[in-house]
Amino acid sequence: MFVKFFYTLKDVGIPVSPTAFLTLQKALYNGMVAGLDDFYTCARAILIKSERYFDLYDQVFAHYFEGVPLPEDAGFEIDAIARGLLEEWLKNPRKVADALGIDEEKLNKMSPDELIEYFKERLKDQDGRHDGGGKWIGTGGYSPVGHSGYHPGGMRVGGTSGNKSAVKVANERRYKDYSTAGPLTQANIGEALKRLRNLVPAGPKDKINVDETIRETMRNAGEIELVFDRALKDRLKVILAIDNGGWSMDPHIDIVQTLFDYARAQFKEVKTYFFHNTIYDYVWEDPARYKKPKKIVDFARNDPETRLIIVGDASMAPYELMAHDGSIHISERSGRPSIQQLKFLAETFAHSVWLNPVPASMWGYTHTIMTINAIFPMFELSLDGLEKAVTKLMAKDTTTAA
Amino acid sequence: MNQIVTDEFQGATKYVLDQELAAIVNISMRLEMPLLLKGEPGTGKTMLAYAIAESLGMPLIVLNVKSSMKLVEALYQYDTLTRLNDSRFGDSKRDVSNIDEYITMGKIGQAFVADQRTVLLIDEIDKADTDFQDDMLDVLDQMQFDIIETDQTIKATHRPVIIITSNAKKDLSDPFLGRCNFHHIAFPDPKMMRKIIHVHFPDLDEKLADNAIKAFFSMRDIDGIEKKPATRELINWIRALHADPDFRVKDLINGKLPFLGVLFKKSPDYERAQNLTTRRRLF
Repeated sequence: MFVKFFYTLKDVGIPVSPTAFLTLQKALYNGMVAGLDDFYTCARAILIKSERYFDLYDQVFAHYFEGVPLPEDAGFEIDAIARGLLEEWLKNPRKVADALGIDEEKLNKMSPDELIEYFKERLKDQDGRHDGGGKWIGTGGYSPVGHSGYHPGGMRVGGTSGNKSAVKVANERRYKDYSTAGPLTQANIGEALKRLRNLVPAGPKDKINVDETIRETMRNAGEIELVFDRALKDRLKVILAIDNGGWSMDPHIDIVQTLFDYARAQFKEVKTYFFHNTIYDYVWEDPARYKKPKKIVDFARNDPETRLIIVGDASMAPYELMAHDGSIHISERSGRPSIQQLKFLAETFAHSVWLNPVPASMWGYTHTIMTINAIFPMFELSLDGLEKAVTKLMAKDTTTAA
Repeated sequence: MNQIVTDEFQGATKYVLDQELAAIVNISMRLEMPLLLKGEPGTGKTMLAYAIAESLGMPLIVLNVKSSMKLVEALYQYDTLTRLNDSRFGDSKRDVSNIDEYITMGKIGQAFVADQRTVLLIDEIDKADTDFQDDMLDVLDQMQFDIIETDQTIKATHRPVIIITSNAKKDLSDPFLGRCNFHHIAFPDPKMMRKIIHVHFPDLDEKLADNAIKAFFSMRDIDGIEKKPATRELINWIRALHADPDFRVKDLINGKLPFLGVLFKKSPDYERAQNLTTRRRLF
């Protein structure tokens, strides 16, 4: 029963599982559902596992039971186009920026998620369907985005012939999971985290070591001798600074974020900051690098035992690193070149590493990588590199703890 | 006031229940599946478990999840130290050669061996790491676990009613979600809030309640508030207003809001609310 309902849910993109569907059948079979209202709540509780999908569920429910047509331009279609745009953007950022008539720099500063949001905003701006006209995305017009139009710098969002709308075509395209392109894949994250867990022993000696206690008691001729160990506390302060500017970093941001999201429970404090290419006077707490700046000099107040992990490709024009006015943002030119700020950070935090998504074999070809490598111990952003970085981060701690 | 004990959950003395949630609770109980509750703090996720226990007359067992918690701690504990001590001094009534005597049940274990059906509340599951969550689900799915020390299998004599709460913004793992029913408790609307307030203060002045709730919701709407005041704060606030002999309902209508510290617990939030209310009074 309600097989079609189940598949409609699946079709609109709600992750529903057959097991849950069987559970629903069980509920129906056992007569626990009396009437449509009951079915609505029960099916939702059993099938839908996140409040994010409640709205979609409502739409499908209305469609299935009351014949309300599913909205043609539903959110998920816009999603699909936005993703199509993003994919295009990853391939050729300038073209998309030109086509939308916005500054490439501005888009550069956005994370993939923000880009998607931004594209969606642009898409929602158009009123209904649009075939022709000069402003927004549609078919056959001279709008900058869409396809088969004749905007000079125009860009097609998927589609080959002039007969299909961008909506349809973008919908057919499957969103490429660009985040798996990095050397560290989702599947590897669990493994990598086990290594991160090694980061943090220590704490007061308050846990009894049974084996040692028995051994010592034996040695003591049966007189109980208790041996205590440090409890394994996986707690450590970590500052994570991520380069999210420049599209060379885009494929890696997701993977790094996921990694540290998982790790959050492990550490007492994970602070994430963002920067573009290299660090000048500020880093930002928000990915857009706009709302919440944090002065680098303020880091001096942090606990020097904090572990600083910087993730970035460290690839830029040498003057960006060396010159007094290297920053592209006027407000950031305090006269201290980036390289000095980096040295300051390295001095402030004795335990710091730089993780680089660029393969180590390529480092020798980029001047700035070598320069930064001399300031921070640099490791490849891979399982192997991560392990080495973790060892490095903990190396001094064991000597101070002993 | 004694509740009539039935096997249907219909709300409790201090808990206002909406019909939808009641249906979900009942079906989860019938299907014997854990119910996962999400929702912002103060929507009564934890209170629900207390209400179910009260209304159905079942004992409530609360497992407060901590970040460092290992699953085995929630199942049982093996008290090696006492055993060692007993073996050395031999002056206790326990039999040292019997490991069973040194095993105590954890919260999940207690729920399993209890001689009647219990309500097991697993509070704030998102605090623990994903391994804990996945391992725990196996236990809840099978309704049994092993005590390694004695090679014993503990089976649930009565399947407990399991309520799991989570504050997490991000979703829990897929296998976890697959084994639970899910409900998201929305923040109560003013009408619902009025009922909740009535349950807590049955003889509260109508005017005071209306205006306090109105003020409360307008303060929840202030932009840029880090921690929005929740039901708990509102109840405490009304209690504070009630207790103050100098307080007049007129003040609320005139936009004078005393005891903002009860509603806003973070200093930037407090200042923001303070500024806004003083400004409103001036213009």
